[in-house]
Amino acid sequence: MALLEIRDLSTDITLRRTVVHALDRVSLEVSAGQTLGIVGESGCGKTMTAMSIERLLPPGGQIVGGSVRFDGRELTALPEREMCEVRGGEIGMIFQDPATSLNAVQPVGSQVAEPLRLHRGVSRAQARTQVIDMFARVGIPSPARRYDDYPHQLSGGQRQRVMIAMALICHPKLLIADEPTTALDVTIQKQVLELIDDLRAEIGMAVILVTHDLGVIAGSADRVAVMYAGRIVETAGAVELFANPRHRYTEALFAALPDRVAGTAQRLYSIPGLPPDLTDPPSACRFAPRCRHAVARCRTETPDLSGDHHAFACFVPRPAGPAAPVASAVPAAGARAVGEAGWVAPTTYVPADGTALLSVSDLAKDFPVRTGLIAQRNAGAVSAVAGVTFRLDRGEAVGLVGESGCGKTTLARLIVGLEQPSRGEILFRGRRVDRLRGTARRLERRHVQLMFQDSYASLDPRMRVRAILREPLEIQGVGTSRDRDRRVDELLDAVGLPRRSAERYPHEFSGGQRQRIGLARALALQPGLIVADEPVSALDVSVQAQILNLMKDLQQDRELSYLFISHDLAVVRYLTDRIAVMYLGRIVETGPSAAVYSAPWHPYTKGLIDAIPVADPVQEAAKPRAAVPGEPPSALNPPSGCRFRTRCPRAQDLCAEQEPPLANPIGPASRLVACHFPLTSSASATVGDTSDERDMT
Amino acid sequence: MAGYLLRRVAQALAVVLFVTVIVFILLHQLPGGPARAVLGNRATPLEITQFNQDNGLDRPVPVQYLVYLRHWLTGDFGFSYKLNQPVGALLAQRLPKTLVLNALALVLTIAVAVPVGIYQAVRRNRLFDYVATTLAFICYAAPTFYLGLILVLVFAQKLNVLPPEAPQSDGVVPIFADFRGMILPIVTLALLGIAGFSRYMRSAVLDNLTQDYVRTARSKGCSSSRVLSRHVLRNALIPIATLIGLSLPALFAGALVTESIFNFPGMGLLFWQAAQTSDYPVELGVVLVTAVATVLGNLLADLSYALLDPRVRYA
Amino acid sequence: MSVNPIDLATEQLAPQHEIALPAGRPRGAFRAGAAVFVQNRLAVAGLAVVVLLVLFCFGGPLVYHTNQVDVNLANATLPPGAGHPLGTDETGYDELGRLMVGGRASLTIGFAAALIATLVGTLWGAVSGFFGGLVDAVMMRVVDALLAIPILFLLLYLVTIVRPSVTVMIVVLGLTAWLIPARLVRGESLTLRMREYVQAVRMMGGSSWRSVLRHILPNVAGTVIVNATFQVADAILLIAYLGYLGLGISPPATDWGGMLSKGTNFIFPNYWWLIYPAGILIVLVVVAVNFVGDGLRDAVEVRLRRR
Repeated sequence: MALLEIRDLSTDITLRRTVVHALDRVSLEVSAGQTLGIVGESGCGKTMTAMSIERLLPPGGQIVGGSVRFDGRELTALPEREMCEVRGGEIGMIFQDPATSLNAVQPVGSQVAEPLRLHRGVSRAQARTQVIDMFARVGIPSPARRYDDYPHQLSGGQRQRVMIAMALICHPKLLIADEPTTALDVTIQKQVLELIDDLRAEIGMAVILVTHDLGVIAGSADRVAVMYAGRIVETAGAVELFANPRHRYTEALFAALPDRVAGTAQRLYSIPGLPPDLTDPPSACRFAPRCRHAVARCRTETPDLSGDHHAFACFVPRPAGPAAPVASAVPAAGARAVGEAGWVAPTTYVPADGTALLSVSDLAKDFPVRTGLIAQRNAGAVSAVAGVTFRLDRGEAVGLVGESGCGKTTLARLIVGLEQPSRGEILFRGRRVDRLRGTARRLERRHVQLMFQDSYASLDPRMRVRAILREPLEIQGVGTSRDRDRRVDELLDAVGLPRRSAERYPHEFSGGQRQRIGLARALALQPGLIVADEPVSALDVSVQAQILNLMKDLQQDRELSYLFISHDLAVVRYLTDRIAVMYLGRIVETGPSAAVYSAPWHPYTKGLIDAIPVADPVQEAAKPRAAVPGEPPSALNPPSGCRFRTRCPRAQDLCAEQEPPLANPIGPASRLVACHFPLTSSASATVGDTSDERDMT
Repeated sequence: MAGYLLRRVAQALAVVLFVTVIVFILLHQLPGGPARAVLGNRATPLEITQFNQDNGLDRPVPVQYLVYLRHWLTGDFGFSYKLNQPVGALLAQRLPKTLVLNALALVLTIAVAVPVGIYQAVRRNRLFDYVATTLAFICYAAPTFYLGLILVLVFAQKLNVLPPEAPQSDGVVPIFADFRGMILPIVTLALLGIAGFSRYMRSAVLDNLTQDYVRTARSKGCSSSRVLSRHVLRNALIPIATLIGLSLPALFAGALVTESIFNFPGMGLLFWQAAQTSDYPVELGVVLVTAVATVLGNLLADLSYALLDPRVRYA
Repeated sequence: MSVNPIDLATEQLAPQHEIALPAGRPRGAFRAGAAVFVQNRLAVAGLAVVVLLVLFCFGGPLVYHTNQVDVNLANATLPPGAGHPLGTDETGYDELGRLMVGGRASLTIGFAAALIATLVGTLWGAVSGFFGGLVDAVMMRVVDALLAIPILFLLLYLVTIVRPSVTVMIVVLGLTAWLIPARLVRGESLTLRMREYVQAVRMMGGSSWRSVLRHILPNVAGTVIVNATFQVADAILLIAYLGYLGLGISPPATDWGGMLSKGTNFIFPNYWWLIYPAGILIVLVVVAVNFVGDGLRDAVEVRLRRR
């Protein structure tokens, strides 16, 4: 008898004038000690399923059908008072954003103690002891002191640990985790996921893990349920699902992952179109309009889940058997008809004469820290970028990788001219650009453009797309008015948007479409270099694939160069030729993408790669445990010598005394690393390395 | 937090300084010059010269300002020839009464507006909500004196339960002895505040109810009432301190009107009478004192906000 | 990307490749906002009431002639009856006609003062927020200082110096009411300066002026307009207060506040036709303008709403 049985659950949300049928006959099962992963893209209903279990629906939401049996009891029929006892006492829940999910004006200790006082009736003093014990168990340092802290005094990772402590303090039988690590850095994410797993084994509870990240699912789930447009489309054991997806949507999802095609010259498969509108769902297969294998039956009948251990709801499932290489179904890059979009002049002013397109040497940016009473004296500085040197050649795509706080965004802003460097030089084609003023500076802007992360914030909501795309041309005085209009049409064609889009406002587009507009604007002045700051981080996997494909095509057509900034190594690996890894304001490793990814030299790079979840359960199971412990140190007071040494398993005394230069210990000059004890294959006795060194090829 | 506090104090001092400058400028806008305005049209040239000398009006302007500043800092606000008393004494007599009236009205405002607003938010779009919103709009839109008059009509005239005039005594303590006479003025003054604050509480509670931390609290098993009392209210009430500070100017203005309706001998009535008799020193003295009181009130409000909000306290 | 033709023979239908744009014709910013406004019934009702009142005050005398200049004491304080639907006041003027006269003054002063206040305040706030630093600090302290003085006191003082006529009242009210728009616009422009689309202009090589004129000002326009409507309501109320305190417009002109003021003398004899009508009209117009302002605020918000 499974601990939790959901049968035909349907949930509606009543808005002012419409009703959204968020869930349609969802059926799931979880047993004690098991982790069920619910995966899907935004709007598929996975969060709604999680909330429906505990009846925590938003205003206007209600369960309109089906049953939820938990530990023998029917939850949908419970009176509210008994439901309150189940919540927190027998079912615990953690949410995505710990910053907003905790009460900002209450100390964390009393927040974590609340379920204890509510459900177990302990006294305040007893609760305090148990909470401090729990804090220690979830890995919060100095637990006794943390009891009286407020949420804003803790880091992101610590806040999520507090949430976990709060959800588990009553030893519930079921833990529901809704996107628990989406807001965290990759290395912290790995720590948190391992923590949840350990606690699950220790307490013997069941876990429901809701996420959009297939890599996280592959590493943590025993069974997986894939959702689309409010329905379950496939469920299976994790290994089975990733090896042998049957539903066409699952297949398409995998094909859109950068992981799968990285290193080959293949394009990502991108799922065209958008999910259906759930206020008026079609009575047919909901994925049919976007499915390349759909037949007539798919558009008239609704498929039901069939199969027991591996169930799927598809009339034209993928044939059983190990996953065939997806490449055969997708044309290789460059096979598109070139003449379609019309001729567009490539960037003609960048001759291939060996001069580096962009060269940065010893670049640094300090932000003064102000304290003090009335006059606000300067009390030191935070070096967001602390001496960075690298070069980028014509036609190259270089990836800049690092976690939050490493300085990559500041570096991007320096290169684009939005910040002035405190030290160092920026050279574009051999000319210094950081010291220009006035007209020369304005003209120089044409060569380097920025693509922002938040598409919504980077487009003026009051301007039509036509005006947004014309603006760079107007500022630089390029062409006549009619030329500019023609250019707008050209740009829209290039990014795959219909020409009608020019009359619309930004808020009328989806996130992926807005990113296309941002890309079009960056292209308007025909720059030689586009700096893209996390351009796909906020997008769903299928939409992400579209944008990445687009960027790759444009790079070929227009001989563009990219500086691609991201925390997502998989995406960077797909798109770039070279990678530079940043940590706390310094570059710690740089080299060709494939080489760095398969055999990293710097311990931080290795830890980063290990931490990034890969959509393959077999690989995930074989990975070592979190190799990068702890939290990043404060940028105000960075560690002496090598900045990474406080978290490095290989740190020695030398690391604290001397800062390692970015140099090449062995091998080709294209690979550089800043480490006294790099992980090159020639380094034999790895002192202090406790993790199991496996062969990473 | 110490930094925040000291910065606020410095700002407040700067504002007070600006206020004195403004009042000084106003003084010099008087028709015919300050001397003639104060002494009246029948003042002789000798009296005028004497006045100018006494008050430093024959010196260059910046020096005049400094003279005035020194007077004000030592509590000398000039002399009212119409009432034949030093302005400072008048203010000292009237100010406490107005402060008591304002304070009591503020207490009533909070005591009524907070529960009403909360209840409106919890029972959103039901009958109570609509009725309360409509009443709030009317109280907001109707001039204070109008509401006061209606109250007098109903309670003093028709029903004859409350006296139409406030106690006329001199000190503050006798006010409480004859409290029935204070009820109508306090209620009149509080009505405007109740309208505004209840609207604020309603929207603040509604905003908070949709926040993530409420969802977390519910997932821990808190009942709706516990969510409200232990989580939402703490967040929604913190900005009230600042709101109180912001409403002080309106409170003083309302006091003026209320005092004139109920003949309450406070600063507002003093100002009105002075305005009608063109007693400029008194008018300016009242303006200055009220402005300073408002700035101080704002400062106190901001300080208490800093104490209440842990994000500011432990920045 | 080209669309594959539908091949009926193999029964395999192609996925739709077209990028889907929202249905319907593109809506101009104004029309989208107007659509939301129209859906708000209270706002529409408020607008209707305001329009009706304007017609009443300005168009009324064209159809309903009364003598508002000559005093006629023989006819003083008559209750409503033949020839005088709302009776007469203590100087013999017809009350209904008086309401029209008073309304003209109140409404004109209200709207005009709000206009001045908004223009001056927006300019002050935009300059302050744009320059920042010391300029901003000083300009804002001036605003704080003026805000600390209760407006009523300031107004009363100013009014005792100059003789109140309609123009004077407009100027005086406008000059005391500009503080709130200044604060609002300054806050908004400080926030907007940090927005990425403003930074994008810099990145493209654009000047600061371009940022301010093309990006900041249009984006504060919404808030400014909403605030302007509330200013109208406040101004009308303030005039009423001044009139009540006897420092309003001098006879034979009057405004609703002055009428109320005189009306208070007649509470005891219970001449209700002199007490209630003016007050009701004040409440009506202020509530109506507030509803319009609320509706405008919602209409402005919709353009910023995400998908």
